[in-house]
Amino acid sequence: MISLSHVYKAYGNQQVLNDVSIEFPPGQVTSLIGPNGAGKTTLLMLIARLQAPTRGELKLGGRSIASIPIRDYAKQVATLRQAPEFNLRLTVEELVAFGRFPYSRGNLTAADHQAIDEAITFLSLQALRLSYIDELSGGQRQMAFLAMTIAQQTDYLLLDEPLNNLDMKHAVLIMRALRRLCDEQGRTVILVVHDINFAANYSDHIVAMKRGAVHCHGPVAQVVNEACLRDLFDLDFEILRSEQGFVCNYFNPSTSRELI
Amino acid sequence: MSRLLARYGVWLLVLALALGFLLLGSGLDFAYVIPKRLTRLAAIGIAGVCIAYASVIFQTIAGNRILTPAIMGYEAIYLLFQALLILLLGTQSLVLLGRHGNVLLSILLMLGYSWLIHRWLFRNGRNNVYMLLLLGLVLSMVMATFTQFIQLKISPGEFSILQGFNYASFNKAQPAQVIYSGLLVALVCLLVQRTLPLLDVLSLGRDQAISLGVDYLRSVSLQLALIAVLVAVSTSLVGPTAFMGVFVANITYALARTNRHRVTLPMASAIAIALLIIAQYLVEQLFNYNTSVSILINLVCGVYFLTLMVRTRGSA
Repeated sequence: MISLSHVYKAYGNQQVLNDVSIEFPPGQVTSLIGPNGAGKTTLLMLIARLQAPTRGELKLGGRSIASIPIRDYAKQVATLRQAPEFNLRLTVEELVAFGRFPYSRGNLTAADHQAIDEAITFLSLQALRLSYIDELSGGQRQMAFLAMTIAQQTDYLLLDEPLNNLDMKHAVLIMRALRRLCDEQGRTVILVVHDINFAANYSDHIVAMKRGAVHCHGPVAQVVNEACLRDLFDLDFEILRSEQGFVCNYFNPSTSRELI
Repeated sequence: MSRLLARYGVWLLVLALALGFLLLGSGLDFAYVIPKRLTRLAAIGIAGVCIAYASVIFQTIAGNRILTPAIMGYEAIYLLFQALLILLLGTQSLVLLGRHGNVLLSILLMLGYSWLIHRWLFRNGRNNVYMLLLLGLVLSMVMATFTQFIQLKISPGEFSILQGFNYASFNKAQPAQVIYSGLLVALVCLLVQRTLPLLDVLSLGRDQAISLGVDYLRSVSLQLALIAVLVAVSTSLVGPTAFMGVFVANITYALARTNRHRVTLPMASAIAIALLIIAQYLVEQLFNYNTSVSILINLVCGVYFLTLMVRTRGSA
């Protein structure tokens, strides 16, 4: 289990995280939601060890993460950031093979090749296996990067806005894949996501953040309600519940029309 | 198929050029001409490997294809050091240190320099490569100005010695210098050989590298230290070659069509060596020693650098 106790993070004078204490339930999909600048990504980067906290402690399975050697940490926690401008000439297979680096340090064994095959098959990328990354569409590229992270075979997956700039089909494909990773393989997935409807329909647990602090958190049904979301985003919400899940309408909720 | 051809073709080209350089117009004089040429050829080989490795590894760390170690002020500090030696000790310094003492001292100094830059910038756990590059650029301008100032203070005789450092050439390479430079570079290459997969991971960028279990700070400082040694050796052999690294690295990426360092490093070395052999041959046979390899290389590669700048600006 990943837990934070009294974590602070400041960039210069700017306080980004302010006394955050929270636990992430294992074996579940947890979405971090909240307005821009709430500190969601910073929180994720702290867990990924891409940044160090100014104060406070993060623990993985009861052990302070700073005391775990980084090469061992990479066997337990895998991180996927938004894939930046990428001008490397790599095939999908070569990219996915990088996911085995924590284990093989570059010399792939039979077990590594099997893990690569499994990750590629899991996301149905067989047809793109030998395609070059820079010739793929944004959605396909994101799938390839996700395959690399899956090949890392870690208990924890951290994803920073994995749906950014994706069309609806690829966004759904990615979220379904994360759901299956959790349900079929028992992995813990923590992601930052902006689309409240994806968060509401695909995660088990939601952590809502506002101004560097946890605004509210809990199981989806508990967090996704009109009052909480209105406070969080300063927007009116109308939540339509059906058997399949929730649809959060913030485009033209009937409540705000009454106000006008 | 075409990729294999490119991979081995460059080495065939190097072999042909090397043989041509050794034998053309030598009169098969194995007593004097050919041993002399062999020494120059060895110096060219060493310098080529240095320039290629330093540039490709540096571009991997910086995540940028228009930069070379020269931008970080590595060459500038070497030249400033030479100027300072002449100013403080006069021509005595040549006798005092000898040529080998000078080179070794320069390497130590540049290691210290790269450690300092790295240390100072990474001290808060912030590690911004762009900040590092900006600092290097400003520092190299400052150092170049100091060097010019010193040149005004020294006597004409001392100035001509300093010019010899600024425009080092293969013609002056001594067998002893070639041997210990070669050993040093072989050692560095051996170290790099062991970290080839790590370099591939570093090319994915800082965040992805850390996420894959790389001790990023340590790896980058090790690679920067290796680059410092390589640049010291190459600058003492050919003088400053600011633009050559950009040329060599980019031609390599285009030909190799992969970013695997297992492929790019040897290929870049071959291209650098071929380029240096051609330049040296032109200097000897066509220009009759009236120009230096450094000037020729910077002329050709500088033009390429400009076109690269214009082209990437158009596409960005």
